[in-house]
Amino acid sequence: MTEPPVRLSVNGEPRSLTVPTDERLLDTLRQRLGLTGTKEGCRSGDCGACTVVVDGHPMLSCLTLTHEVPDATILTIEGAGRDPIGLRVQRAFEREGALQCGYCTPGFVLALTGLLTERGGVADPSELLEDLSGNLCRCTGYAAIVRAVRRVAEESH
Amino acid sequence: MIRSDSRPKLDGSAVYGVDLREEGMLWGALVLAPASHGRIRRLDLSNARAMPGVAAVIGPDEVRALLPSRDGDRERPAFPRSEVLYRNQPVAAVAAATRAQARAAARAVAIELEPLPIVPDVESVYPEWPADGAPISPDVIAHVHARHGDLARCFGEAEFVHAETYRTSGVHQVALEPHACLARVDADRWFVRTSTQTPFGVREDAAEILGIPQERIVVEGTWVGGGFGGKGSSFLEPYALLLAAATGRPVKLQLTHREEFLLGRTTLPTVVRIETAVREGRMTARRVRLLLDSGASLPGRDFATGFVIGFLLGPYRLDAFEMEGFGIRTNKPPFGPHRAPLTPQCVFVEESHTDSIARRLGVDPVEFRLRQVWREGDRTHLDQPVGPFGIEEGLRRAQAVVREWRRDLPKDHGIGVAVGFWSTGTGAGGEARVRVGPTGLTIVQGEREIGSGSVVGGLSRVAERVTGLPREAVRIEYRDTSEAPYDSGVFGSRTVGALGQAVEKAARRLLQGIGERLGERTPVSLAWHDGRVLVVAGEQRLELAELLTPEERAKGGVEAAGRHFGAPGAIDEGRVVTGSFYPFNDFTGSVAVVEVGVDRETGAVTPVRVASFPDVGVVLDRALVDGQVEGGVVMGLGTALTEEMLWGPDGRLGNPHFLDYRIPTLGEAPPIRIDPVEGFRGAGPFGAKGVGEPPIIPIPAAVANAVADAVGARVTELPVSAERVARALKLL
Repeated sequence: MTEPPVRLSVNGEPRSLTVPTDERLLDTLRQRLGLTGTKEGCRSGDCGACTVVVDGHPMLSCLTLTHEVPDATILTIEGAGRDPIGLRVQRAFEREGALQCGYCTPGFVLALTGLLTERGGVADPSELLEDLSGNLCRCTGYAAIVRAVRRVAEESH
Repeated sequence: MIRSDSRPKLDGSAVYGVDLREEGMLWGALVLAPASHGRIRRLDLSNARAMPGVAAVIGPDEVRALLPSRDGDRERPAFPRSEVLYRNQPVAAVAAATRAQARAAARAVAIELEPLPIVPDVESVYPEWPADGAPISPDVIAHVHARHGDLARCFGEAEFVHAETYRTSGVHQVALEPHACLARVDADRWFVRTSTQTPFGVREDAAEILGIPQERIVVEGTWVGGGFGGKGSSFLEPYALLLAAATGRPVKLQLTHREEFLLGRTTLPTVVRIETAVREGRMTARRVRLLLDSGASLPGRDFATGFVIGFLLGPYRLDAFEMEGFGIRTNKPPFGPHRAPLTPQCVFVEESHTDSIARRLGVDPVEFRLRQVWREGDRTHLDQPVGPFGIEEGLRRAQAVVREWRRDLPKDHGIGVAVGFWSTGTGAGGEARVRVGPTGLTIVQGEREIGSGSVVGGLSRVAERVTGLPREAVRIEYRDTSEAPYDSGVFGSRTVGALGQAVEKAARRLLQGIGERLGERTPVSLAWHDGRVLVVAGEQRLELAELLTPEERAKGGVEAAGRHFGAPGAIDEGRVVTGSFYPFNDFTGSVAVVEVGVDRETGAVTPVRVASFPDVGVVLDRALVDGQVEGGVVMGLGTALTEEMLWGPDGRLGNPHFLDYRIPTLGEAPPIRIDPVEGFRGAGPFGAKGVGEPPIIPIPAAVANAVADAVGARVTELPVSAERVARALKLL
C-alpha cells in the first residue's frame, strides 16, 4: 500500500518524503536526509542521544514514527545554530566545555533547546536538570553539562 | 578554555563511525551463535541468500575462498569452523541493500549446534582455591605466581592475620556510540574507516585475522563516540572487510546497543582471597590469590592476569608477599579492557581490606596507610624502584578533607578514602611529525580524538609549551595508517605521556633547525602575531616565512619527526615462580574521598560528594584534567554502585540494555572537588603523567569504605548494591 508523502519542515527547509509507515524519524533524518548529527543510541528511548525538537518540544526520534508527525517543524543539531535558543545552548556548551566525545551532545543540546522553547526561553535550572536526566553521558560525569545548563538558565533571566 | 573540537561536535558536522556513508554502500549484519558452547553440526546459509536485498552471506567456507593465501586453520579464524565458544559469537555475516534486510537475512541463517558442557564462571572450575600441588585445570589459560620474603614467618609472628574473600562483577564500557565501520576492498587495498582508539592496532589485528600483510590494510579513524578501552584492536573491521571483498561493494557494519552488551569484550568477574599479616600496627606480609574470568580469551592472549594482580598487593612496603592468579577460560565473550582494566576492582579488594584492617586496629584509615605507602626510592613488590609518586601527598590532602567533612556529617552518612595506584602505558611507543609554516604549526598523526581531549588538547598543549605558540596557532592533522607515523593508540593514559614525548621531540627538532638557519646556538622560540608565525631569537623577531625557501613555503613549511619508544622497567625475575608479570612504567594514581548516605531500611547508597587528588605530575590543561576526573569519578560510581553484567548459568546475559544495566544519570552525579597533585614528575613531556585512568581507580573502594564508615557493615562484593548492603546489615 502506498502511503501519501509526509511533509515536514526540517531546519526551516520544507521536505516532502515518501517513507514506509514503520520508519522511525531517526532513520528518516539520518539515512534519508543525511542529517547524521542526530545520533543513534539505544533505539529504545533509554539514552536520549537521538533527541530532536519537534514543534517546539524535545522528542526522542528513535521512538517517533515519521508518519506520526505530519506537517511538523523539526529542529536538528545541524539547524540549532539558526535557532536563537539553540544558539544560546550551543554557546553555553562550548564555553563550559560540556562535551568530550560529543556523541551525546546533539541530544543534550536539543533536549535543552526544546525544554527552554517550551518555557518561552526562561526556566529554573533545577527544573531543566530534572528534565534532562533522561539523557545519558558516559564521558563528562555531567559536571560540565550541569554548569552549561546553569549558564543557559542564568542568561535567560 | 574552549576545546578545539567543540564546533564540529556542536553543529553535527563531526563524522563518527556510525555516520559513515558511501555511494553504493551495502549494510552488513552478523549472525550470532545461539548457544554458549557447542559443536557446529550445520551452518546453512541458503535461506539467508534467498532473502530480499541480500548481496552476500559468508561463513567459514566463504572466508577460505576469499582468502586463498591462508594456510590451514589459523589460531584466530574470522568465524569458528567447528566449535562455538560463547553465546553470540559471530559465526557468519550478511551484506544486503538495507540495514533491515541485512538483519532479517542474518536471522534466517540456520545453525545447528550440538551442545557441549559450559563453564559459566570461575567458581564452577575452582569452588575452593586449589590445594598446593594440585593439578591445574585445563580451563586455566594463564597462571601467574610470584613471591618474596619469609611469608610463613611473617604470618607466624603476626598479632593477627586478616583474611577475606571478595568478588567483583563484570562491567561494560558503555560508550554511547556503538562500534561501527565502513570497509571497501579495491584490488589489493583493504580499506576501512572506523571508530577506533587504535588505527594501527586495527591494522595489525585485522592482518592477523585475515592472514594478509599489514601493508595491504589501510585504516582511517573517525571521530570516536567514547572508547573507554572498548574500541581498541579490531572488532567489526575484519567482518566488514570480508563482506566488502565478497561483494565488491563498500559495506557498513554497525552494532546495536543490545549487541554491544551481548558480544562486547568487557571486564569479567573475579574472586579474590586476600590475607594480611599485621604486627605492631603495620602490615608485614600479604598473600593474594586471584581467580579471573577470562571469557573465551585464547591461551597466551590473556593480558590481564599478570598485569592486574600486582595491584592486589597495594602500593605498600611489605616484608613478604605471595601472589598467585589464574586466568580461567569460560563461555563468555573474551575479556577486554575497560578504563584501567580491572584495576578499580583490584583496588576495591585491596583498599577495602586495608581499610578493614585499620578499623580492626582502631587506627585512622588514612594514618594507617601513611605508615607504609610507597615513596620515591622504595622498591615495588617485584623490586622495581618507585619513581616520583604523589600518593602520599594525595593522602595528606585527603586527610584534611576528611576532617573538614566530619565536622557536619549527618547521621547514617560515612566517609571513605582509598588509594588508586596506577602505571600508565608510557612504555608503548609512537611517532609524530610536526610541521611549522608561515601560518601555524601542525601535528601530523593517525590517532583520533576519543573525547578525553588528549589528542585535540593534550598533544597541542605539548607543542605550544615547547614552541611558545598559542593554541590558535596549533592544529592536528589526521592521516590514515598508510600516511600517518606509527603510534600504539589512545589507551592506557599514554597519549600525552608517550605520544606527547614524540611530539615534544619533533617540535624541539624544528626549533633547533630554525635556530641553525639564523646561525644561533641557543634555541629559538616561536610567537604568533596577526595570524603569522614569528621566530624569536634573543631580541630578534622575524617572520618565519622569511627563513623558508620557496619550495618549503609551497609545501606549507618545514617538518620534523619525533619518536618515543620507552624501555620497559625491569622486574626481579627471581621473585617470579611462573607466568608473565608486567613492569610498571610510570608511578601515578589518585586518592579519593567519598561521602555517602546509607538508607538503613533499604540499603540504598547515595554518593553525596567526592574529592579527588590525581597524581598528574604537571597540569598541562586544567579544564581537560578536570574533565577526566569528573568523568572517571562518575564512571567509578557506576562500577561501585549499580553496574553489573548478569549472566545466567547457561551463559546468557540477562541485562543487555540500559534499563537493567544502570550507568549513572545526571541526577546521580555528586559534586566533585578536584585537587591535582603536582610536582612528582612523570615520564611525559614537562613531567606530565596520564590522567585518563587514575581518577576512576579508587572510587569503588572509597565508596565501600564510606559505607563501612556509615553503618559499620562491610560489603565484599561489587557493585555495592542496595541488596548487598541490606544483606550486610542483616536486613535480608
